[in-house]
Amino acid sequence: MTILSDLAGLLLFPGGAFVIALALAYQWLHRKLLARMQNRLGPRWWQPLADLTKLLTKQFIVPHGSDRRLFTFLPVVALAGGLTAALYVPLAGLAPAYSFPGDLVVTLYLLSTLSLCLALAGANTHSRFGQIGATRTLTQLFAYEAPFLLALLGPAVAAGSWQIGVVAQTGQQTWALLTQPIGFAVALIGLMGKLEIPPFDAPEAETEIVAGSLTEYSGRGLALFQLARQVAFVVGLALIAALYLGGTVGTLAFVGKTVALLVVITGLRALLSRLRIDQTVNYWWRGGALLALGQLMFSLLLKGAAA
Amino acid sequence: MDTGKNVQKFILPMGPQHPALKEPGHFEFTLEGETVTAASVRLGYVHRGIEKATESRNWTQNLYLLERICGICSHIHATAFALGVERLAGVEAPPRAQAIRSLLAELERIHSHLLWLGVTAHEAGFDALFMYAWRDRETVMDLLEQLSGNRVHYSANVLGGVKFDINAEQATAIRIGLDFLEARTRHYLDVVATDATFLQRTRGIGIMDHELAKNLGVIGPTARASGVLRDVRVEAPYAGYRDFPVEPVLSQGGDLEARCTVRLAELLKTYATIRLILDQLPAGDLVARMPRKIRAGETISRVEAPRGELFYFIKSNGSEFPERVRVATPTIRNLASAMALVVGRHLADVPMILAGVDPCFSCNDRAVMLSRVDAEPEHWTWERLRRAGIAHYGGRMVDAGEVAP
Repeated sequence: MTILSDLAGLLLFPGGAFVIALALAYQWLHRKLLARMQNRLGPRWWQPLADLTKLLTKQFIVPHGSDRRLFTFLPVVALAGGLTAALYVPLAGLAPAYSFPGDLVVTLYLLSTLSLCLALAGANTHSRFGQIGATRTLTQLFAYEAPFLLALLGPAVAAGSWQIGVVAQTGQQTWALLTQPIGFAVALIGLMGKLEIPPFDAPEAETEIVAGSLTEYSGRGLALFQLARQVAFVVGLALIAALYLGGTVGTLAFVGKTVALLVVITGLRALLSRLRIDQTVNYWWRGGALLALGQLMFSLLLKGAAA
Repeated sequence: MDTGKNVQKFILPMGPQHPALKEPGHFEFTLEGETVTAASVRLGYVHRGIEKATESRNWTQNLYLLERICGICSHIHATAFALGVERLAGVEAPPRAQAIRSLLAELERIHSHLLWLGVTAHEAGFDALFMYAWRDRETVMDLLEQLSGNRVHYSANVLGGVKFDINAEQATAIRIGLDFLEARTRHYLDVVATDATFLQRTRGIGIMDHELAKNLGVIGPTARASGVLRDVRVEAPYAGYRDFPVEPVLSQGGDLEARCTVRLAELLKTYATIRLILDQLPAGDLVARMPRKIRAGETISRVEAPRGELFYFIKSNGSEFPERVRVATPTIRNLASAMALVVGRHLADVPMILAGVDPCFSCNDRAVMLSRVDAEPEHWTWERLRRAGIAHYGGRMVDAGEVAP
């Protein structure tokens, strides 16, 4: 029985199918909101599902000169990384499916598999757009990853635990958003960098390098990569809501808090022009990293003074 | 992999199909990291043989053919041709017709500049501005449709005048549309001058100072953004601009920001000109009588298209058909400057600098015959061209890759 319920937890709820459905729903909301902000109509609610289904049925072309196995498995690994990360994050107001001391660090690393897979995918093709995309993806990874990690570790340091559930519980009385506002901003913008959401979409800037790393991907490979990014989006939103917005106990609280974050991200996306990759790196290391470090030191000092 | 002397160049191809290009052109950028070290352009993908085709159509038919050279500045092509042919025939179109020609040309300039603003914003990844600029552009498209019945090819010109009049109702509609557009343009002018992230992509990028602009021979708004006065409407007024003079907009900036502000500030002058024409539209006929055959002779006709000077050379042999029509569009004179400006810049600036000259590729593709010093000029028959094409492409079929089951 435990095996059956474990499998159901992995494949149906709260992991697997449920996470994918949630990812598609949030993707629709993201696209619809963006469209309304840009004075467009936007897609109907089933459009992300329709896009996914269509891509899954299309031909999957492996270009000459790239490693066939790597080319085929990278999208799978990227999606698996996102789905596994989802197991450790409280989704839909429920406790995470799995939890252990230190799951925060594991989740953050699982979320990074997406960027690594994208970079490998670009470097694995002979397409020059893909290669530049891979270089830019890795450059951006080095830019946002450290500040993003520091920003998410802030609440953990304050709570004195590396377990997402414990941090969320500690933050329920006083939201970390209020005590560590700078860390919150860095974390939210870091998530945009991680997901290559404009203005941080230099690695896939279509007017320069077509689709960056994904230029040669088609059919189900492209579908899985897109799904992986959409899953990572939901996981990232849930993670920030859990750490900074006082946890997500109850479905309503989860939806309310994550959608609020989504609205902020979509608004930033609509407002800003794309940053060049050198500008991105510049901002993250001169601004983001220093701010996150300062916030972390402040939290540590505060904790020391209290103790 | 070789190192040392035999370092391979990393060349990024752009086009003929590429998301940054709305029309086919081929660019090759040699990259060193993210920096462009060399650039080259190859045009000719949309050569349509229009100049040759004019020789087998009569004067009136050519008016409609030449209007189709460009899908954005269609009216100005027909105007340039009509003015040239009228000069050859010794006929002057009535003042009311000339004023309506200028009016439509200015409306066309509005739609061209707003389209350009959207494209440039999109190249910078600022899609909100792109969507809003194109939404507002619909206002002027609707006005043009209301006047002419068409959104793109207005067919307003006939030889010796214009086809339709502007009544009071239409004039009111234009005034209302202009009030809205003026408010929007002021807003966009504010956006391109103050939006911090957009300025990061435009300020100080692609700088072409006064001297360089003169040396590169750029024209139109691209030149005016570098403080070089190149505006046929001012330098050699034609059609209605003799009665309704235009005030040129100049900027000394020379960078992409200046190219944005010059075009938008120019729109404000354009609104003023249109209002002036509507207020003081001369009364009288719309068409002067034109002969069917144009007497022998040759002339040039210069007009200011939205992108810069449009040049027509027209030669008549006294028959119903022109002997030769030569068209020089503004893009061919501006594009070389973009190739010079991208060297040393980031790859990310390349689409912006390209868009900065407002390129329009289909208009400028021409067949060129090379006269070699060492050999007689070659003439290729259709059959020989076909064989050469098969031999060329047969050897290098498109690599479709390995198809997974």
